[in-house]
Amino acid sequence: MQCLLVSRFPHVISLKSSRRSRLYDSGWTGILLVVVLLAAWELSVSTGTVRSDSWPALSSVLTALVHGATSESWASMFGSTLYRMTCGFLLGTVLGIVVGVLFGVASYVNRVLMPTLEIFRTTPIPAIVPPLIFLLGVDDELKITIVALAAFFPVALNTLAGVRQVDPIHLQVAQTFRVPRLKAILRIQLPSTLPYVFAGARISLGISLIVAVVTEMLAGSEGVGYFIVSMEYAMRADDMYAAIIILSVLGYVLNRLFVLLEAKCIRWARVLHLRLT
Amino acid sequence: MKAPAAPLSPGRRESDLLVIKGVSKTYGSAAQGVMAIRTVDLTVRAGEFMSIVGPSGCGKSTLLQIAAGLLPATVGEVQLGGTKVTSPPEGMVCLFQQYSRSLFPWLTVEDNVRFAFDHHASLDRGKTGERCRRYLEMVGLADFRRNYPWELSGGMQQRVAIARALAAEPRILLLDEPFSSVDALTRLELHGLIVDIWSRTGVTILLVTHDVDEAVFLSDRIALLTKRPSVLAKLFENKLPRPRDPVSSGEDPDFLSLRHELLSRVLDPR
Repeated sequence: MQCLLVSRFPHVISLKSSRRSRLYDSGWTGILLVVVLLAAWELSVSTGTVRSDSWPALSSVLTALVHGATSESWASMFGSTLYRMTCGFLLGTVLGIVVGVLFGVASYVNRVLMPTLEIFRTTPIPAIVPPLIFLLGVDDELKITIVALAAFFPVALNTLAGVRQVDPIHLQVAQTFRVPRLKAILRIQLPSTLPYVFAGARISLGISLIVAVVTEMLAGSEGVGYFIVSMEYAMRADDMYAAIIILSVLGYVLNRLFVLLEAKCIRWARVLHLRLT
Repeated sequence: MKAPAAPLSPGRRESDLLVIKGVSKTYGSAAQGVMAIRTVDLTVRAGEFMSIVGPSGCGKSTLLQIAAGLLPATVGEVQLGGTKVTSPPEGMVCLFQQYSRSLFPWLTVEDNVRFAFDHHASLDRGKTGERCRRYLEMVGLADFRRNYPWELSGGMQQRVAIARALAAEPRILLLDEPFSSVDALTRLELHGLIVDIWSRTGVTILLVTHDVDEAVFLSDRIALLTKRPSVLAKLFENKLPRPRDPVSSGEDPDFLSLRHELLSRVLDPR
């Protein structure tokens, strides 16, 4: 039967060794698509196919990008966005870990506070920006609070799940060796929860950048979010796209750095996960 | 400094180390619950290797967990060296069936072993390292102390778990089907290892297993439990001479007759 298949579909076999299929299989195919799309963007303007003030050529966006990236005003603009993002992210993550652990180990805390938390969780974060402006103004306090709130939930819920899934046999091992309860929490509960905390924090990191930019679009006159909206009003599409490109590269780099940190801290969990899947 | 031995209660002999007295276990409520163990009385003597065998689901693991102080008995009590067991007592360690779940994946082999004792000793790290190495050497894994458990094979992981149990330096080891999740050849290797450790250290061993051959090959005495709700069906003295050999001991008439009786009663429990 196998012989028959081989002889009836010779092209299936031969494809494997052809140059075309090697390109399909390589990791470069996806990057090639990005290059093709960017080229199409440039050509759409330089050939005159698309004529619009809101659709600048890639080359002029890149010029604006290089110009902006080397200027001090862009550095402080991105710096201020990153500062608020980082403060909010750290604040939300730490709070999330504390609340997640509390909810996990004390069931009455969970019973009393969970419904309140659930209501807050389902509220879209940008919706509470206007009411919070009354309380906190339009500056860093507001934006850091909003980012922290957004970063809090993924970490808290993941930590809670992590605390609950600790292997009961691990705890029995601690019992049979007569390890005191507090030490057992530190040496078993904490490390087995860590992969969950990291997973939550990685989601929160992405959300933090998004929410930091959104708050700047909604309130105040600082940061990348404000800049993008201003450039839109000013019809300076090239500067607008340049800032957006930097933002997406920034998001990518932050995520990669976080994954590296995660791999360093919980290598064992990654290996086990790979083995199970 | 050792505390003076507790005065012997009436009927207790010096050699009786672990005494299971009228232990009964019912899961759930008394009226609607499932009775796992009706009543079991059993005494493990100091230095002996005893096995508990019985049909699947007969409550032998439950009995071991009660003996280990990990599970309360519904009725009756367990005494270790004359003292009632209410939580895992000093001088006793339980070795669990699933090595992959009992070892900590975030700790190296050496740190896993260190976990057994470093919480109640103000020892410096050099000394604890020496103690870890001593027990890892005993199971033949001294060269793997910097590896993580998941980098080792199943049999090696169970060796680490054995080294960790020994590192607590217990008087009695409770083994809950510790060889059931490794392949047949590895199991024979581990049998040799555990007998070697037992004779070298003088530790008392109580083993729960569903493998009749294993029980006969390893132990001095074998307690046979009935199906649920369990009672002690019979206590066997194992006359198979030591040292035992995995190849030739299996052909010994003593081995065969004991195996015959145990296996037929496990398969047809009354």
